[in-house]
Amino acid sequence: MAPVASRKTLIGGMTVIGLVMLWFGLTTLTGLVTSARFPSPAEFWLSLKQINGRGYAGSTLVSHAFHSLKLVLMGFAVAVLTGVPLGLWMGWSRRVEAFVNPVFLIIRPIPPLAWIPLAILWLGLGDAAKILVIWFSAFVPSVINAFTGVRNIDKPILEAARMLGTPRWRMVREVILPASLPMIFTGLRLSLQASWTTLVAAELVGALVGVGFVLNMAQQDIYPGMILVGMVTVGILGWVTTLLLARVERRALAWNVAARD
Amino acid sequence: MTSPSLGFRETMLLGLAGLASFIGLWSFLSVSGIVPAQFLPGPLDVASRFFDLLTAPFAGATLPAHLASSFQRYAYGVLLAAAIGVPLGLLMGFFRLLDDIVTPLFDGLRFIAPIAWVPFAALWFGTGIGGPIMIIFAGAFPPCLINAYRGARFVEPRLIEAARMLGTPSTRMILEVLLPAAVPSIIAGLRVSAGLGWQSLVGAELIVAAAGVGFMMVQAQGSVQTPTVMAGMIAIGLVGMLIDVLLRQGEGWLRRRRGLES
Amino acid sequence: MGSISFRNVDKVFGQGTGGVKALDDINLDIADKEFVAIVGPSGCGKTTCLRMVAGFEAASAGSVLVNGRPVTAPGPDRAVVFQQFALFPWKTVRENIELGLRNKNLPVGERNDLVASALKLMNLETHVEAFPHQLSGGMQQRVAIARAYVLDPEVLLMDEPFGALDAQTRVVMQEELVRLARHNPRTVLFITHAVEEAVYLADRVAIMTRRPGRIKEVLDIKAVRERENWDSHARIEDVMDLESFVHLRTHIWKSLREEKGFKDV
Ligand SMILES: Nc1ncnc2c1ncn2[C@@H]1O[C@H](COP(=O)(O)OP(=O)(O)O)[C@@H](O)[C@H]1O
Ligand SMILES: [Mg+2]
Repeated sequence: MAPVASRKTLIGGMTVIGLVMLWFGLTTLTGLVTSARFPSPAEFWLSLKQINGRGYAGSTLVSHAFHSLKLVLMGFAVAVLTGVPLGLWMGWSRRVEAFVNPVFLIIRPIPPLAWIPLAILWLGLGDAAKILVIWFSAFVPSVINAFTGVRNIDKPILEAARMLGTPRWRMVREVILPASLPMIFTGLRLSLQASWTTLVAAELVGALVGVGFVLNMAQQDIYPGMILVGMVTVGILGWVTTLLLARVERRALAWNVAARD
Repeated sequence: MTSPSLGFRETMLLGLAGLASFIGLWSFLSVSGIVPAQFLPGPLDVASRFFDLLTAPFAGATLPAHLASSFQRYAYGVLLAAAIGVPLGLLMGFFRLLDDIVTPLFDGLRFIAPIAWVPFAALWFGTGIGGPIMIIFAGAFPPCLINAYRGARFVEPRLIEAARMLGTPSTRMILEVLLPAAVPSIIAGLRVSAGLGWQSLVGAELIVAAAGVGFMMVQAQGSVQTPTVMAGMIAIGLVGMLIDVLLRQGEGWLRRRRGLES
Repeated sequence: MGSISFRNVDKVFGQGTGGVKALDDINLDIADKEFVAIVGPSGCGKTTCLRMVAGFEAASAGSVLVNGRPVTAPGPDRAVVFQQFALFPWKTVRENIELGLRNKNLPVGERNDLVASALKLMNLETHVEAFPHQLSGGMQQRVAIARAYVLDPEVLLMDEPFGALDAQTRVVMQEELVRLARHNPRTVLFITHAVEEAVYLADRVAIMTRRPGRIKEVLDIKAVRERENWDSHARIEDVMDLESFVHLRTHIWKSLREEKGFKDV
């Protein structure tokens, strides 16, 4: 296996180096791509220095990033804490499913981003509106996957628990919840992704601080170096939070064979 | 154990009760004035606004005209994503070198929310039709690529060996072995793409467009015309649902034709 | 006390014209501490019988009684060992075995003692903190049996418990179950489609017809076993060589063969 892996790393590394050289060549060396279209490495560096020092769009990159991160985590948490229990409950009780389903079917086709104008109307350009839209967008995957998780539990597992005389609350905590946990985590991954997409969109539509706002200002200023800074930041934030979630998942699902591969 | 299945009658009654509570709560909040009607119009107001918009223009066009221009961009964006993503995915599944080159790039870009491409899209292709198309493309491209790649990469090795043994050249191998074997996976990817593309379209239009439903909603938001915003949401939901239903039908038809399902 | 009675039991799945009659007028009495095996062609309703005693299914007609009282719901007085083990994958071996005792609200000390003796009984002491997926099939089934035994149930219900094991493991488990059943007898309803297994383990073997399942014949094995002193042989293959064993086995085989008909063997 080792040669294959190192071959992959080698080619991957060469690709990245090649790409950086291409970037440098097209912008700085030949000027084939003008700085009005895409920043050169030097311009990117200058933009980065500017936003870290003097700041841009009202504050430094770190505080923009932290603000966005805070909103995503808050919206995500609200969505998960409401969505997963609802999904579990719908999975557990056919009555609850029958009651909620039609409403869900009506609301679900509306893309989360379409809630942004309404959220701004209701709550303005501040944090509350962002958390509301993130909630709407991250809620659905949490519900659906928790629901599916419960419905896909092996029937014999439930029967074994009943045979052992497991009382209701212990059944939920020690059987239903852990059994659906792999699916719940699938939902959380999707929810997290949706949270970032929605937050960036909401900040692009209207905000006073945050990475999306940086992108928005840079677009209006026609400032490609800063646009790239904003995009890279969005990517890094998404990557780091996804990584964190994956770690939590590995811990929580240590017993799960599938999750270990 | 999960509770046993309900009868048809009970399901219907509970469903209706659920809908009634939803609409009841909505109406109550708006009629009672707990939320000012300006911000939460009742269901009837929204419905009547929706039907008005079918003929009366807002933000430069009627709702069907806005939908038409949205749909045009959407179709271009998704088709472009499929036209590039599917062949590239297949080639990556076949040529190991291409796989090793593209995968790290793709993994690097994967974490950037598609909507973050808006500023560059506007800068490169303008806010008319090009910019939005690029954002739809950014949303719809990944599932096209990934599913075509997986479909081709994990084709039964025996099929490939058999084809090799018969001396099949690479082009024919891709077109006549990998492509057909990957079709179910590709179709599933296209359906996901279609959904994500629609989602991105809405985002793009909220931010950069000068026409389309999203644009209409932003304009309505600016002038605090909540019924129009909500009518736009309904229109977007309906079209999204329609797209999904059509693609499901197409998928089912294709599967049946290939004898994958009865 | 742990007797089981089937009284004129019918079971129909589905309703109206779409209904499938799975069991037809089942009558069977299992005495306290008796080990009864049911054999029959696949799909004849063996599992359904067991599930009705467990309380997972209700009879369509007639009644299923445990200790003279109709079964209404599942409970730890009727422990089930499932064919696919049905262990909780997120619980360790200890936690799997412990759950039923926790549900009974036993004091911690007593609980630990019981778990320890169940672990010892099933030779699981070296795997106490392992998760099920880290164990072989045979080990997993030991855990499932320990989980059932530790409840000290009046009735033990086993649905093809060794069906998913490889041949060698299966033999070991069969020998262990015999050891367990003879030392510490309790009422067992044991489902299998392996004829030798039934004859080797059970006091009586009930043979079922194909669907709709009826009890065709009940054979008394225990009388033969005690007369011929099978239990003096430690190993299953020695028992299987005995003429009395072969005779019973062949009898059941022929009986089943008639049921299946030659066309669908
Ligand atoms: N839940 C169910 N719904 C409908 N039919 C069932 C159900 N469970 C079992 N059956 C049918 O009842 C018959 C007996 O099944 P089962 O008791 O599992 O047979 P066995 O265990 O002897 O193989 C089979 O024909 C099976 O298809
Ligand atoms: Mg069975």
